Amino acid sequence: MTNELQLVDAAKAGSRKAFADLVESYRVRLLRFLLTRCASHADAEDALQDTFIAAYRYLHSYDPRWRFSTWLYRIAIRKVQKIRQENVVEIGDLSDEEGDPLLHCMAASETENLWVSARRILNDDVFAATWLRYAEDMSINDISKALDRSDSWTKVNLLRARKALGAEMNRETNGNEAYG
Amino acid sequence: MDKLAKQLKDDAARIDVHISDEFDRRMAASLEGIMPEVPDAPRLRQRPAAFWWASSLTGVAAALVFIAVINTHSEGEVTPVVSPPTSPVSMATIPTIDWKAESAMLTRPLQRELEDLQADLKKAEEKVKKEIGL
Repeated sequence: MTNELQLVDAAKAGSRKAFADLVESYRVRLLRFLLTRCASHADAEDALQDTFIAAYRYLHSYDPRWRFSTWLYRIAIRKVQKIRQENVVEIGDLSDEEGDPLLHCMAASETENLWVSARRILNDDVFAATWLRYAEDMSINDISKALDRSDSWTKVNLLRARKALGAEMNRETNGNEAYG
Repeated sequence: MDKLAKQLKDDAARIDVHISDEFDRRMAASLEGIMPEVPDAPRLRQRPAAFWWASSLTGVAAALVFIAVINTHSEGEVTPVVSPPTSPVSMATIPTIDWKAESAMLTRPLQRELEDLQADLKKAEEKVKKEIGL
């Protein structure tokens, strides 16, 4: 974390190398998240690129009281929203698995990946909150900041998401046992 | 970490992400092409020195014009006014005006009104003197 703050400070001071290191450390994590939110791989890459460009451009406005990842994810969520508003095709409209970037990034044997179910069950913001909590280990407070929501909203919806996903996981487990 | 959290963490890691070299090049080119915005520091509005010179000279010029105008007007007043020579005017040339007015004559009612007013004034004076204990 300290190293990350040093990189941020160096990037603020004008070091492109420091910002390139930040990009290197976050690009895979961010792209993985963006693939769950965008309608195509190209959209996810565009959103990733826009996120880093915006982060670099407005780095002076970054408040070190936030975690850098929180700030970055907040930008990424806004970029995804913008891209999805511009595009007509929504994730829910994708009929074939070939077009879904998330399914494209999974092996055929991993179709039971819980995040695919999560995306089907949960709405966008609740999905993002769940991802930030369980895939990124973010605190409730950081998730609230990233999503621009209240802490109570985050707590309540994470609890609901847990219940829904727990039921889904049990259903899949029981189904596999029944048919296995 | 409970079972659900572990499952979610593992499943997230299983999403295979590959970043192509082409994307890396595109990203690097994009970042090269932009400059970070500099925050707007609260800076004093400094005007160039020429501004101060120009305003000073304008003020001095205005003062000089004002003094010149005042002096011009003063010299005009000092110039003696030549009055035409006076000559006696004959009374015959002055027309007589018939005012058709008469002096007012006091009639009895007005005289009585005056006496009543004087009587009221005297009463008021006595009342005041009485109230203040004289």
